[in-house]
Amino acid sequence: MRLIRFLILFPFFLFPHADDMYLLKGGNVFLPDVGFVKKDILVDEGLIISIEDEIDSSISENVINSDGKYITPGLIVFSALGLIEIGALPETIDIRSETYNAGFDPSDAFNPFSQAIRLNRSKGVTSTVNIPSASGYFAGLLSYTKINNGLKQKKQGPLGLLTSYGQSYDDSRAANLMFIEDLFFYVRNGYDSTKADQIQFFYGTDNEYRFTKRDLEAIQKVINKEMPLVVRVNKATDILKVLEMAKSENINLVLWEANEGHMVAEEISKAEVPVIMDPLNNIPGSFDSLNATYENVSRLHNAGVKLAFYYDQSSGAHNAYLATQSAGNAVALGVSYNEALASVTSNPAEIFDIKNVGVIAIGYDADLTIWDNDPLELMTQVETVFIDGSKQDLSNRYDELTERYTKEEELPNSYRSR
Amino acid sequence: MIKKLIVLLTLAVLYGCGSDAPSIFKSEIEGSAKNFEDDIHGTYASTYTPLKSENVVIRNATIFDGNGNKFLDYDVHFSDGKIKNLGLDLEVEGAREIDATGKYVTPGIVDNHSHMGVYPAPGVRTSSDGNEATNPVTAEVWAEHSVWSQDPQYKLALAGGVTTFHVLPGSANLFGGRGVTLKNVSANTVPDMKFPDAPHSLKMACGENPKRVYRSRGPSTRMGNVAGYRKAWIGAENHKKRLERDPEHRDIKNETLVGVLDGKILVHNHCYRADEMATMINISQEFGYKVSTFHHGVEAYKIADLLADEGICAALWADWWGFKHEAYDMTIANIAIVDQARGGTGCAIVHSDSASGIQRLNQEAAKALAAGRRAGFEISEARAMTWLTKNPAKSLGILDKTGTLDLGKDADLVIWDGNPFSVYTKAEQVYIDGALTFDKASNFMPHTDFDIGIKEWEEK
Repeated sequence: MRLIRFLILFPFFLFPHADDMYLLKGGNVFLPDVGFVKKDILVDEGLIISIEDEIDSSISENVINSDGKYITPGLIVFSALGLIEIGALPETIDIRSETYNAGFDPSDAFNPFSQAIRLNRSKGVTSTVNIPSASGYFAGLLSYTKINNGLKQKKQGPLGLLTSYGQSYDDSRAANLMFIEDLFFYVRNGYDSTKADQIQFFYGTDNEYRFTKRDLEAIQKVINKEMPLVVRVNKATDILKVLEMAKSENINLVLWEANEGHMVAEEISKAEVPVIMDPLNNIPGSFDSLNATYENVSRLHNAGVKLAFYYDQSSGAHNAYLATQSAGNAVALGVSYNEALASVTSNPAEIFDIKNVGVIAIGYDADLTIWDNDPLELMTQVETVFIDGSKQDLSNRYDELTERYTKEEELPNSYRSR
Repeated sequence: MIKKLIVLLTLAVLYGCGSDAPSIFKSEIEGSAKNFEDDIHGTYASTYTPLKSENVVIRNATIFDGNGNKFLDYDVHFSDGKIKNLGLDLEVEGAREIDATGKYVTPGIVDNHSHMGVYPAPGVRTSSDGNEATNPVTAEVWAEHSVWSQDPQYKLALAGGVTTFHVLPGSANLFGGRGVTLKNVSANTVPDMKFPDAPHSLKMACGENPKRVYRSRGPSTRMGNVAGYRKAWIGAENHKKRLERDPEHRDIKNETLVGVLDGKILVHNHCYRADEMATMINISQEFGYKVSTFHHGVEAYKIADLLADEGICAALWADWWGFKHEAYDMTIANIAIVDQARGGTGCAIVHSDSASGIQRLNQEAAKALAAGRRAGFEISEARAMTWLTKNPAKSLGILDKTGTLDLGKDADLVIWDGNPFSVYTKAEQVYIDGALTFDKASNFMPHTDFDIGIKEWEEK
C-alpha cells in the first residue's frame, strides 16, 4: 500500500522544487493511531508526500537530520492569536463586536505580524482556531487560520458558532434556554421580509436582542448542520440541558470548558459530543464549577469523549502554545500519551472538520514541528517548524530582547541597530 | 437619594473645614501607640499550633536542599517539627522509614505572591476582598483581615507542594496595605494560620493599575503615582517626628509606613517596567527604606545588575505577558537573567499571583530554567529550586525558619514522585512542621468547610 502511494507520487520526485523539497531524516515521527515511530518524511510542494522507514538522502538537497528528535504535526491552538495584541488596550483587540453577535467573524481582522504569533510559531504552533467574543447571546464565529510567516495565510471557516450557557447576573438560565429555543424556532420558520413580524423581538435596539441578517444566517447554518454550536458551559445539569436541546433541535454540538463534565461523562460520550477543555481547571471558581477537579480530564477520556485542549492561563492568545503543558499534565492525570498529544494536534482538526491538517499522513499539509525532546515536556525546545512545507523563520521578540540584554557590547543597547 | 445626601454632607465637610488637607481622608484615632512589629502583631499575633510532628527518616532520595545543592541517594531525618539530619545512610533509631528510591525531596515551596483567601473560590463579588480601592493610599488595611480561612484553594496549592504562602492586597492602590505570611494549614481562624514571627509586608504598586483605578480623582499618570508615594512617605516622616514628642499619638495608616521606615515591615512592590523599578529605588533612597522585592517585574532583566547591586529580589512569572502594555517586553529568560546577574548574586523568585499557577510552581520554574539555558546560562536544577524555596523565604524574612533543608529549620518538605522539573511529576507527600498534611496515595488532605456537602461526586 505504501509502495503504491510512493509510486503514484513518484513523478513529483522527478521534478523536485529544490527550495520546497525537504527530507526529514531519522526522527521519531508521531503517526495517527500508532504514536512515535522512527521514520523519514519527504515534504514537497507544501505537502507530505512520503513517510518511509528509509528514504534516500539523494532525493533532496535539503536534508534535515532529525536523529533523536521528535516530529509532530504542528500544534493547532484555540486562541485569539492575531486578533489581540495587548489585553488591556481595546484598540489592539479585534475579537469583540458591539454590532454583530452570531454572525460576527473576526477572521478578517487577523494580523499576521502580531508578536504573539511570532512567539507561538517559534514554540511549535502552526495554526489557530480563532475565538471571538462579541457581546450579546452569541460570541460569534470560530474560524481557522494558519500562522505562517508573511502577509497571507490560509483560512477556513466558519467552523462553529460560539455561545455560553449557565450563570448570569440578570436572567435565569432557564430563560436563556427558552430564548435560544425561540430564536431557533423563528429562524427555522424563515426570517425573510414576509415573516419579519414574527421575529421583530429579535431585532430590538438592545444589543443582546438585535439580530442582523448576517447573525440570523449564522444561526441558520447551525440549524442546517453546516457547523456545530459550540457551548461554553460548566455545570453538570446545564451540560445535560444543552445536550437535550441539541438533540431536540437536531444540531451538532461541541462543549467548551465543561468543568463538571466528569459528572455526566457517559451522557456526553453517548451523544458523541466532543469537549474542548483545559485539564488544569480544577478550581471551584464559580457556583457553576463547584465540582471542578483534576479528575475531569481522565473521566471524560475514560468515557470515550473526544477531547481537545487549550491552556486557560494564556491570556487569550499570548501563550496559547502552552496547550502542550496542559496536555503533559493530562498524561500525569491519567490520559494516554498519544491521546493527549492528539488533543493539541489532530483532535482540533477532527472536531471542526478542518481539512488536511493535524496529522502526519501522505497528502496532508506539511505543517510539522521538530522538537529536541518529548514535545509535552516543559524543558523541550522547538528546533524547526514547517507550515505548508515552508520552513518558518522562528525569530521572535523574546529571543531578540534576551540577546539585547545579555550581549556585552561597547555601546549601550539603545544605540545598537538591533 | 441617600447617596446624594452623603455626597452633599461630604462636600460640606470638605469645604467647611477649609484646611489645606481634607481631614476626612485622615484616619486618626486617639489611643495608645502600638508597635505591632516588636511584639509581632500584638493582639493579632500568630496562634498557629502545628499538627503533631512525626519522627521520620526518608531514605535514598534525590535531594534539592534549597541552597542550590543536589544530593544523590541521601537520607533526611526530621522529628519534633525540625530537620534533624541530612546525609548518606543515616543511623536513626525509632523513626518511621520511607523508601524514596527514585523520588525527589525538596523544601516546601514558598509562594511570596498569592491572593488566596482574599480572592477565594468561588469568585463571587461578596467575597472579593483583595483591593480596598477607595483611596490610593490604604497603608492601614491588613490583608489578614480579609482572608477567608475556609477558601478551598489552599489544599490545591498544598497538593502542588506549597507549604508557605504570602497573601498580599491587590494592586489597585499606590499603597495597598499589609500582607501576611501563612502556613498552608487548615484552620478556623486566620491567626491559627499565621506563620509565627513572620514580618508583615507593605504592598505597593507602580504603573498602570493605580492610575487606571484613580484616573478621575488622581493619580492619573505615572508622575502622579510617584508624587503620591512621596507625599505619603513625607507624612510618615512627620508622624515619626511627632511620635518623639507625643509617643501616645496613633495614626493607623502611618503606623504601617513608619514600620517600613524602621525596617520592620518589608516592602513588596508590584512593578513591571525597568525604568519604574529604578524610580522606586530612588524613592526608597530618598526616604531611607529598602525594597525587599519587586513583584511581576516583566522587565526585571533590563536592570538585573541594579537589582543585584541593591540586594533586591524579583518575584516573577516564567512566561506571563501581553495582558497589559507594561507587560509587553517579555522574555522567558527573565528569571534566569535576574538570577545570574553580577556573577550569580541575583535573587530570582518564581511567584504565582494565581490560585492555578500556585499549584504548579515547579513547572513554572522548569520553563524558566529551560529558557535560561537556551539564553546561554549554565544553571542547574538545584539552583533553579532556590527560586521556589530559599529566595522567596528570604524575601519574606523567614529564611531562618523555612526555605531550605538546613538542620534545625521547620520540617517543611515535599516528596515528589519524580523530578519536580518534569510535567509528569506530582507531589506525593507534603510535610509541614514535621506533620503529614498531604498524601497523594491515600488522598489525605485538609478539607475546608466549603468542601463539606458540596461535592456531588465520588472522589476516587
